[in-house]
Amino acid sequence: MTKVKVWDPVVRAFHWTVAVGFAANALLTDAEGKLHEWIGYAIFFLVCLRILWGLTGTRHARFADFPPSVEAAVAQLSDMAAGRNHPHVGHSPLGAWMIYNLLLSLIAICVTGYMMTTDTFFGIGWVEEAHEILVTWAEVSVLAHIAGAVYESRRLGINLPKSMVTGYKEMP
Amino acid sequence: MPSFTAKTSTISAALVVLIVLQGFCAVFFLIDIAHDFMEYRQPDFSLLHSSLELTANLALLAGAAVEGIFLAGLLRRQAHAERALSAASGALHDLMEQYFEDWGLTVSEADVAAFTIKGYSIAEVAQMRGSAEATVKAHLNAIYRKAGVTGRSQLASLLIEDLMNGALSAKVGPREDAARHPVQKSGTDG
Repeated sequence: MTKVKVWDPVVRAFHWTVAVGFAANALLTDAEGKLHEWIGYAIFFLVCLRILWGLTGTRHARFADFPPSVEAAVAQLSDMAAGRNHPHVGHSPLGAWMIYNLLLSLIAICVTGYMMTTDTFFGIGWVEEAHEILVTWAEVSVLAHIAGAVYESRRLGINLPKSMVTGYKEMP
Repeated sequence: MPSFTAKTSTISAALVVLIVLQGFCAVFFLIDIAHDFMEYRQPDFSLLHSSLELTANLALLAGAAVEGIFLAGLLRRQAHAERALSAASGALHDLMEQYFEDWGLTVSEADVAAFTIKGYSIAEVAQMRGSAEATVKAHLNAIYRKAGVTGRSQLASLLIEDLMNGALSAKVGPREDAARHPVQKSGTDG
């Protein structure tokens, strides 16, 4: 068992603030209220910050550390299918795809949400519909993300949710 | 890390995209249908129409699940085959997978068995599977028990025996077989 420092404070703070913000806006806040808008702006700001951090941040926070790769993702799927347990220190290839998916979905949700507040697009059907479909997509993605984290924690014997709190992975 | 043929990678990626799209659309429409059912008192609610929609989307979801199972099988077979490159490997491989299935090996046991039959040591198998040697030993014991053999050499000889008995020639297509061995009768009933 070796303890490896993987997630810096920026990555962890981003993860949990966005998680809380998204949950609040998807489930709790009044979609027509000011609070919903402000949380939306905050999430957009955080995502922009995370993208900058992905270019300049610490080793495992950088996009270069988890490039979107079909081959690596298939290799990880095949590890799962064959019951093999090769752990990844930073983001796993499938995890990387999920991150890009969530970042892009959040941006699209923020953009369509903002459009609904402008005079040009206020009350236009397809904008609202797009916003709602994107939110459903993101909700399903979040559920898949949680299921994936739990499944991978069990498969690899590493508590991944805990590592997103403490910043350390306990590699077997 | 295993290296995959470009073809397997493409098929797998395409399947994943299909599963994700079908899965999401099914979930999306199921939520929609749930809303419809909650408004069953409305005049424009049609039970027949909504039931048909429900069935179609459940079938879509089931289709995605079947694709997932198919993908897992494809990847598993590919993972077992990745280092077997001899000419007989295709048919030998089919035979091997058939045995694993008959013995009721788990996914991990089948993987360990495939490596073992190819002659890898316990330490090598552990390294390639990213697990502890003790785990591999436990898998091996289960494999030997399920296969009813006493050890590695008996496990391999089960396959060799079948090879000798002509199980392999049964799997080779008749035309190819006849072309290569015009006078020899293939022992298809072995």
